[in-house]
Amino acid sequence: MDTSDQNEIERRVFASFFQAGFIEAFTSIFLLQLGLPALFSRSGFGDLESALLALPIALLLLIGVFLIRKFVVIPRLGKVRFLPERRRKVSKLMIVPLLTLIAGAIVGYIFAENASLRHIFAAQMPFILIPIIVFSAAAYFLDMRRLYVYGAIVGLVFPLGKYLETVIVSRNTLPATILFTAFVFLGMATVFFVYFLRRYHEPEV
Amino acid sequence: MKNQGEKQTTDSLSEIMNIDRLVHSPARLAILTYLSVVEDGDAVYLLNQTGLTWGNLSANVTRLQEAGYIEVVKEFKDRKPHTLLKLTDRGRKAFQGYQNKMKELLDMKKPISREGWRISRLNRIK
Repeated sequence: MDTSDQNEIERRVFASFFQAGFIEAFTSIFLLQLGLPALFSRSGFGDLESALLALPIALLLLIGVFLIRKFVVIPRLGKVRFLPERRRKVSKLMIVPLLTLIAGAIVGYIFAENASLRHIFAAQMPFILIPIIVFSAAAYFLDMRRLYVYGAIVGLVFPLGKYLETVIVSRNTLPATILFTAFVFLGMATVFFVYFLRRYHEPEV
Repeated sequence: MKNQGEKQTTDSLSEIMNIDRLVHSPARLAILTYLSVVEDGDAVYLLNQTGLTWGNLSANVTRLQEAGYIEVVKEFKDRKPHTLLKLTDRGRKAFQGYQNKMKELLDMKKPISREGWRISRLNRIK
């Protein structure tokens, strides 16, 4: 067993702590945060009101996910402290969304200043690029290849919704597309979680 | 030339006899492998990853602890017993030594010949 074999074992052990569907649940929450404000704003609410209405839903779901992790998943999988190298990788992952947001703000400012660029990119590019960058960084730092696919799906949802809006002329087409994808991810998370519960039982000491 | 080949085969066989048997057992090897890829982990983690039963895990952990290969900390968390396990420096060295030795043996290009096997048996009898 050489170092590469041990790295593979470490990667598998690390990935086993995400088999209960958390990645899919977080992706779903991310999409809900995009889709719900869009739905509310098209139902007559203002932009700020829509964002404020969607926020508690996402927060409740996030709290639910963390509670499930603490009281259901960890007692079944056990507690582990990973090696410093892995912990460094995970902490680097936290920096990427922050840098992406800063870069997005700078790019947004440049587009806002330049009227000719505003209509071409400003509306759509952040919704495509930010998920792809964040998910790709997560895939790289967490060593989970399926996150590249999730990033591509999440990045494509917005332009797909915009395209469908031109085909099916309805003001709710875009939020419906995003929310449909969010529910697909939620369904996947539920399937993974049920499978996890059937496979792992809380050990009797 | 032939003698040199025979000597090499005999040496490789005697190397097998020198392998650390405490690490060589499948259950203990699995425990050490899964502890080597983390800083520390609890008994439930090892139970899940290795697929051992509580009794088997406990017996093998005790043997590794007695040899000074792993460190066991028993505590109570939320009024429940919690056992934390960690590979010691000695355990890590033993595990790495075992890995290197096995790799050397398995990487040997020359398969063990019937003649070599006979010579090693004769040497052991002597």
